[in-house]
Amino acid sequence: MFENILTNPIVAVILTVLVCFIISMFLPGIERKYVHARIQQRIGPIVIAPGIMAPLKFMFKENVEVSSPVPGLYKALPIVCFIVVLCVLIALTPEAYKIPALASLVSIVGFLKVEEICYVLMGALSKSIMSVRMPFPDKIKGAVHNNSNLSFIEDISARRSLRMITYGSFPLYLALFAPVTAARSIFLGDIVAYQQIHGPFLFTVAGGIAAVVFFIGYMIILNEYPFSIIKAKSDVIEGPYMEYAAKYRAVVVITRGFFMFVLGAVFSVLFIGVPPTIFSWGILVNIAVALIFVVMMGIFSAFVPVFTNRQLLPTILGTTLLGILAIVIGLL
Amino acid sequence: MDEKVPRSNIIETEIPMGTVHPAALEPYRVRFFVEDEIVQEAEITIGVNHRGIERIMEGLPVEKANALTEKICGICSNSHIWNSCRTAELGLGIEITPRAMYIRVIMGELERLHSHFLYLAHGCEVLSHETFSMRVFYLREIVMELLAMIGGNRVQYGCSVLGGVRPRCDLDESKLLRLKNDMDAVEEGLTGFVERFLADSIVMSRISGIGVLPQKQAIELAVTGPTLRATGVARDLRTTMFEYDEFDFNVITQNDGDVKSNLIMRALESFESIKIIRQAIANIPEGKVVNRDWEMVDTDIIESYIEVPRGTLYHSYALESGRVRHCIIRTPSMANIGAMQYACIGDQITDAQLCIVQCDPCFTCTDRAIEIIRR
Amino acid sequence: MGIKSFSRARAIHVMLVYTGGCNGCDIEIVNSILSPRFDAEQYNVFLTWNPREADVLVVTGPVTHLNRKPLEAIYEAIPNPKLVVAAGSCALMGGVYKNCYGDIPSEEIEGPVENIIPVNAKVPGCAVRPQDVLAGVVSLLPTLLDAD
Repeated sequence: MFENILTNPIVAVILTVLVCFIISMFLPGIERKYVHARIQQRIGPIVIAPGIMAPLKFMFKENVEVSSPVPGLYKALPIVCFIVVLCVLIALTPEAYKIPALASLVSIVGFLKVEEICYVLMGALSKSIMSVRMPFPDKIKGAVHNNSNLSFIEDISARRSLRMITYGSFPLYLALFAPVTAARSIFLGDIVAYQQIHGPFLFTVAGGIAAVVFFIGYMIILNEYPFSIIKAKSDVIEGPYMEYAAKYRAVVVITRGFFMFVLGAVFSVLFIGVPPTIFSWGILVNIAVALIFVVMMGIFSAFVPVFTNRQLLPTILGTTLLGILAIVIGLL
Repeated sequence: MDEKVPRSNIIETEIPMGTVHPAALEPYRVRFFVEDEIVQEAEITIGVNHRGIERIMEGLPVEKANALTEKICGICSNSHIWNSCRTAELGLGIEITPRAMYIRVIMGELERLHSHFLYLAHGCEVLSHETFSMRVFYLREIVMELLAMIGGNRVQYGCSVLGGVRPRCDLDESKLLRLKNDMDAVEEGLTGFVERFLADSIVMSRISGIGVLPQKQAIELAVTGPTLRATGVARDLRTTMFEYDEFDFNVITQNDGDVKSNLIMRALESFESIKIIRQAIANIPEGKVVNRDWEMVDTDIIESYIEVPRGTLYHSYALESGRVRHCIIRTPSMANIGAMQYACIGDQITDAQLCIVQCDPCFTCTDRAIEIIRR
Repeated sequence: MGIKSFSRARAIHVMLVYTGGCNGCDIEIVNSILSPRFDAEQYNVFLTWNPREADVLVVTGPVTHLNRKPLEAIYEAIPNPKLVVAAGSCALMGGVYKNCYGDIPSEEIEGPVENIIPVNAKVPGCAVRPQDVLAGVVSLLPTLLDAD
């Protein structure tokens, strides 16, 4: 009876997702406490503060009227983002390999695209107090231009997210498709099966290069320094997330940690061939990969300033070329 | 002449920032006129923190007015009280005791150190380089503790009084020893930071060529202080001030006028400050710290210029039966606002706040004498 | 201690609004939050610049005329429960700037902060010491934890 429930694929997926979700909530804290604070020679917050306690606290805050032309859509976007990340994780579990339409690279790329489009919409719909709406007599006699169009700082952020969709996410997608060259299939089931026979793709030349490309793509899609141009503190403050308060901010914070874990899981499926499931010790590999990625990202982001468009374009271009190289080597 | 002319008169969009913004700790409003994320024009509105200090000083006894000038600025508070005392001393012909002069120089240079460290840390913070910012803030704490040791407060020390310095600020042997040891620690830390900073190619590529202020334009805008020296003009009032006659130091200049040369400028100038403090510790004369042997007379308008961390500071007032009349204060940031607006032009909007920060703005200093006309 | 108070005690987001004054308090507070020497993050106090994220609003300065409306707007934007710390003598009573015209109230200074928004804790000092600011934020904790 009990075993029947456990072997039920839906229950298995739910259990896996729950375990991954709980672990993912520690990741922002680990990055902040053990990497950033340590590098900066200070004590730093407790590990559970940024990832678990902050969302919980936001849950208990009172909701506010968000300032947005379409408040309903704006409030729904973080939930959409969360569901997208959840879908990516479900697609990675071995139980999902029976549904080829879900467990394929095309669907994962599609989900990630939805995530990116959400940033654009969030940025375009957020009208925070910090720029145009700040009550200040700007247009007075003697001002330089008295009839210019006004933009909120989030509008720049939305425009940047749009730009990131067009070229920013190339490295990640190229890296995602690099294992296809070895496995000759875009279905996750085949990729995992191929690697379980031939050994991890990570330890081939193409795999090694693609892993580097994947890591940079991972930082770009997570908007971590130095690629955090859509939420650079020096001009757009928090960019798309400006107006989220209370429960919606809690979802935003949780999604970030969860996304870190899920991208780590994507790596371990595509490059090591270990899908996340609680029925094998392989899940430890997933956790280890997620942790290593978070620590590496923390170290990298602690030592670089934010990149402007001027540095971003060459960096992404170089990484993209590297990704193409990885695919070419894989094909040869 | 003007090398960075806006490309067109039609402005695509305007992005206002402020009065509360993470990159600008002080309240001011800045409007960026932007075309495809490139700043075409910038307009800085100050006057947000106008408090009317000169109006409060009007008619106060000169000792009280001197103490009040400290409240103009929380970064260079010592410079204001120093220059205000200096003004009265020039007018009344008060001789300052040599020991007091040395202590004033030590305080002035310590303040320059803390102001420059704040600049470096804030610059790194606007660059979003949290680690470098934290390291400089850690160094800055050593200087802050020294200032607190001498003056008794971390920010407003009230060191100078008419004729010398407060007896509280006298330096005994143990204080001098601590000063000496901490200068070694600061120099060591700063050397490490500068080496690390200059070797970081990512940071260097990020800041070189950003916010360029050509020398010609800087002279035309009457820019002052390290911002001017970063464009290659060796103009430092300390070379003409009698307080600094006995000290040996170099006037640092850089050539490019961009964020990189401004940051390096401040770092190198900090080493010169450490050098001056060391000379002062070694040669500090014995004697009284305050000369109380003077008489109050009525004077004409007296003027005094000194070099403060941000540039030239001007105080002037007349004395009328011991009270301050016709007070005018001109702070360096006032002259540098033009440079801030100019430096932004042609750069990414992500860099725009950095271009403002590179001129080391202190709008709290600047917002005093601007008349706000309200209907 | 319920889960609500437990979580609130472990993640406090502080926003700083600086409303005129001499910059001294402001830099001291940013230092106490930022610099590794005092490191407010070890007490789980995080600095934020987004009013929607903040729990505690730290106000310095005597609230000059042009700063009044922005301050009110930012206070409005913070979701409940929210608390206000007024730091520095200017924020507490207008400081040296308050009575610049003798008995006639100054037109420039709208403060002290109490006149504009409700204040929960007051941190005296000119300029405030970082330790005092931390103590002020910590003294608010019981109020914050028990709020709805």
